[in-house]
Amino acid sequence: MNLERELQRALRRESPAPGLAARVLARAQAEAEEPRIAHPRRHWWRAAAASLTLAAVLGGWAAHQVAERREGERAREQVLLAMRIAGSKVRYAQEQVRGIGTEQK
Amino acid sequence: MTALPTEAAPSDALERAKEGDQDAFAQLVGEHESMVFGLAYHFFHSRDRAEEIAQDVFLQMYRSLADFESPSHLLFWLRQVTSRRCIDAMRRGRLKLVTLDEVDEIRAHNPAADPLLEQTLKRLVSQLPEAQRLVVTLRYQEDLDPSEICRIVDMPVNTVKSHLHRALQALRRKLGDH
Repeated sequence: MNLERELQRALRRESPAPGLAARVLARAQAEAEEPRIAHPRRHWWRAAAASLTLAAVLGGWAAHQVAERREGERAREQVLLAMRIAGSKVRYAQEQVRGIGTEQK
Repeated sequence: MTALPTEAAPSDALERAKEGDQDAFAQLVGEHESMVFGLAYHFFHSRDRAEEIAQDVFLQMYRSLADFESPSHLLFWLRQVTSRRCIDAMRRGRLKLVTLDEVDEIRAHNPAADPLLEQTLKRLVSQLPEAQRLVVTLRYQEDLDPSEICRIVDMPVNTVKSHLHRALQALRRKLGDH
């Protein structure tokens, strides 16, 4: 037996049932007429876009909060520094006054 | 709508189909349906599965008509897409096939005396590993040589030759034809 010849005979082309083109065109037409229902894939993209927007808004808000807190801390540091400077000036003035008092005695 | 007889040159049918002529599209389907259906049928050994694959392939062709540059480009594309769809459908696990080694009962057949040799061969081919099955079908249904098959299935030519060699060896062993 010549196997290759037998394979050519056995594996010849096969015809489908008549009307394949019509069945394909009917499917194409059905797809074209399908109402524009939100596709699951579009849902996925919308959810992803919404998540990204939310993440961006939350990220921006958090960054703003951090910046505000740092600004507050810097202002507090400045007030404390000013108070320390003012305190040292008062102490210096008191010492001067006390010194003048002892000289007069 | 059934496939129309060939009234024009194939390239003309392609051009007309690109312009939205459904009769021309039906003509193209008529020209190629036995090739597409045959590849899928020999791969799955199932007419239902072959019909499903053929419809999917021609629907994809319908959507892609504008991309085909020539009838030979279309033919190459159809062979390639049909092959890929067969492999994909098989890998999605929608069809469980037994392997060639599992077909014990066929060993008992004497092919020389078997009036159903053709059916036996079809069945044995459909039970080859998927790459061998595809390569054998393209080789013997489409009469393509390994250098053409390797472009369609995107494999090195030596791999194609190796699949062919192994497939023939396995078929000979199963048929007892040494």
